[in-house]
Amino acid sequence: MSGLARLLSVLVVLCAGAPLQAQSIVADLSTREVAISTGFTGADLLLFGATEGSGDMIVTVVGPERDEIVRRKERIAGIWVNGASVTFKQAPAYYRIVASKPLTEIASEEVLSRLQIGSDRIELFTHSKRPAASILTFREAFIRNKKRLQLYSEDISDIKVVRGRLFRSNIPFPVNVPIGEYLVTVHLFKKGEHVSSEETPLTVHKVGLEAKIFDFAHNQAPWYGAIAILIALVAGWLAGVIFRRA
Amino acid sequence: MQIYLPIAEMSLNALMLLGLGGMVGFLSGMFGVGGGFLMTPLLIFIGVPPAVAVGTEANQVVAASVSGALAHWRRGNVDIRMGVVLMIGGFIGSTLGVYLFTFLRGIGQIDFVIAVSYVLFLGIVGVLMVVESVRAWFRSRNPAAPKRKLHYHTWLHGLPFKMRFRRSKLYISALLPLGIGVFVGILAAIMGVGGGFVMVPAMIYLLGMPTSIVVGTSLFQIVFVTANVTFLQSVNNQTVDIVLAMLLVVGSVIGAQIGVRVGSRLKGEEVRVALGLIVLAVCARVAWTLVVTPDDVFSLGIGGGH
Repeated sequence: MSGLARLLSVLVVLCAGAPLQAQSIVADLSTREVAISTGFTGADLLLFGATEGSGDMIVTVVGPERDEIVRRKERIAGIWVNGASVTFKQAPAYYRIVASKPLTEIASEEVLSRLQIGSDRIELFTHSKRPAASILTFREAFIRNKKRLQLYSEDISDIKVVRGRLFRSNIPFPVNVPIGEYLVTVHLFKKGEHVSSEETPLTVHKVGLEAKIFDFAHNQAPWYGAIAILIALVAGWLAGVIFRRA
Repeated sequence: MQIYLPIAEMSLNALMLLGLGGMVGFLSGMFGVGGGFLMTPLLIFIGVPPAVAVGTEANQVVAASVSGALAHWRRGNVDIRMGVVLMIGGFIGSTLGVYLFTFLRGIGQIDFVIAVSYVLFLGIVGVLMVVESVRAWFRSRNPAAPKRKLHYHTWLHGLPFKMRFRRSKLYISALLPLGIGVFVGILAAIMGVGGGFVMVPAMIYLLGMPTSIVVGTSLFQIVFVTANVTFLQSVNNQTVDIVLAMLLVVGSVIGAQIGVRVGSRLKGEEVRVALGLIVLAVCARVAWTLVVTPDDVFSLGIGGGH
């Protein structure tokens, strides 16, 4: 079902005056898949939905989990070399928070921590034996670098609310967006209490020739290598033939 | 026109890549060099991950070398026996090189080793080129100066396993070209180059091969060694981007043809000084990335490890 059709169905439900369940929330995305093809330069998704009555909203977008290494450069004899590193196990490759107002005005620190809302509060696990203070430095560096790559973001007040019921928000994906499964969650808070959540899955994948090349390179690496060589040999030979005649 | 590169996982302007290939191809045609040592750092400067730049460039060098190798082959400018010995060394060296590359990548030091290799070899080769051409220029103005001997006899000529290379008019130990092949093979794998800029001087000054067959024989073995690097990088590291390689190939073959025509009108020494200065400029640019304080001393990487 297309995004527009879904939006219409939400509106129909609302306009028909069908009573939403108490304290409920409905949400959907303009598309449930981001396709990376030849011309891909990033994508903007629209999250939209409706809530019953007033309340505060926090939207989280959590990308696929994978091991991420943070390395620290050290200056040795005037040259910068990678030194110590910390690996965070199964850290989200993408993380976005959108809230209708500053997080701490919506809920208490305790509630936010329990729900792991906010890049400072997401759980990052490591086997590293470094002292806690050092790991904290690496953790901060991890989030700082992710934000620089636009893979982590926190936007306050980037939720547009219409007549206190309909809402919409933008989810930007940069060109370096990691492929995998994403989960978009809309949390509804009332008077500091978390009342409900609505989850919508999202897939980011490569399509077309790009997907075929990527899969081929990873799943049949020896054949990929052989074909890369063959193409290069033929291209070089052809160029020689063409320009010898010209 | 942005194009998404499936292995590099980034979007770059296709016309810019064609232009980059054309520019490096032009220089390589004009100066008679492979161009890998210019292309790899340029790819890194525009943001291609160093590991992908090196793997992809090996693939591009296969294409860039094959037509030259065929042309020299037809004219009989290839010492096949010598080429095969160099190639065996090259296979050993490039295989070692790719495994070393994979290891260094695992411990997060590959970018550093690539940069240091470039600074070291571009620095040495650039200085030698400039010094040599300036000397040649002075000699040409002062013909009375004593000429250098063609080649010197050193301990290198006392090594065992002597082989006769008829085409090169040489009777030397096979270990010598084998060792050169191994060394250049390691460089090819780590730097994403054909290694002609090291191989050609080594063949002339260390082996004492006649200049007429040096380029053909060097190209002959470069095709095989870079093919081996392409294969092993694909299997071990998945860092060969066919789309990127093809754009660079198209640009460089056209650029090279124009470069050859322009180069034939220039004087030898001037050309070598110009090439030497370009090599030193790239060297300085890479060196700068090593010493300048990074914006953030922390960086991210993905994958296993510790």
